[in-house]
Amino acid sequence: MKVISVIPSWNCSATLAEVVKEVKDKVDSIVLVDDGSTDQTREIAKLLTVDYLRHPINRGQGAALKTGTIYALSQDADVIVHFDADGQFRAEDIPALVNPIIKGEAEIVFGSRFLDDTTKMPAFKKKVIMPLAHFINRVFFNIKMSDPQSGFRAFSRRAAKQLDWQQDRMAHCSEILVAAHASKLPIVEVPITVLYPDFGQKLGGGFKILYDMFIAKLNS
Amino acid sequence: MFQEFIALAVIVFFLLRLGWQFYKDQIPKSQFIFWLSFWGVAGLLLIYIRQIDQLAARLGFSSSGIQLLLYVAVAVIFYVIFRLRLKLAQMEKDITELTRLAAISERDKNKS
Repeated sequence: MKVISVIPSWNCSATLAEVVKEVKDKVDSIVLVDDGSTDQTREIAKLLTVDYLRHPINRGQGAALKTGTIYALSQDADVIVHFDADGQFRAEDIPALVNPIIKGEAEIVFGSRFLDDTTKMPAFKKKVIMPLAHFINRVFFNIKMSDPQSGFRAFSRRAAKQLDWQQDRMAHCSEILVAAHASKLPIVEVPITVLYPDFGQKLGGGFKILYDMFIAKLNS
Repeated sequence: MFQEFIALAVIVFFLLRLGWQFYKDQIPKSQFIFWLSFWGVAGLLLIYIRQIDQLAARLGFSSSGIQLLLYVAVAVIFYVIFRLRLKLAQMEKDITELTRLAAISERDKNKS
């Protein structure tokens, strides 16, 4: 089975080379989507063995992931893994995400930070933001996943073709969760470890996600 | 009475200007119809301002019909902003689609 990792990158030149180096041993190839970076991303990408795509202007992580996923499908990917370029995810968790798909146990696999206690999340995020996101997922979307905002995920080819997210910015995470559940494809969660060199998305970002999803709902 | 006359004169001025712009092909028909309706409704509201005063009183507003019109205008502005936001979201989506096409076709070009 051909496993392709899609890595969106926006001004992540500081961590990019190291991330690609770690991921390339775990997958067959890497699609790097430069989302209109203004730093050294392009120069660094030239030195790496990746399929390099560049958005001429910044369109957001959701948009970059979709571009990479479409391209990976065109390259006959059987499994697509979404990974981050900022060094928050660990490449050694990739096999755990891919295996359920290879074994035919799942079509969609989400990494979860809450299935074990290896992720050291900032307290405010753990005690306030995440429970709020849990509550919103459960009440509005009837989603009972342990991790309400997982960006580390793997899709089978079938799932990647079927899931069509429209959110360009951070709301894509929630939209993919909702679309995955609506698809009725088998979903599995596996434990992952996420590193937090900084706080990451703040509470305001959460409200922005809700607003973006609300506007998208009205526009659909 | 004098204020109403001034307001009507302003509306007539804009209507004439609108007619001229349409005659000179400076605006499309859809825009002409929209602004014609807009100024037409504004003119009608001014002409029937006494009746609107009575309506405002009947609806329980303590002040004049002009203020009722202001409330309606604010509501309309909110609605227009909301519509604009939806339109912007659609434009953002279109820009992303173009960006994606450019990125993939550039990659395919470099590969071949």
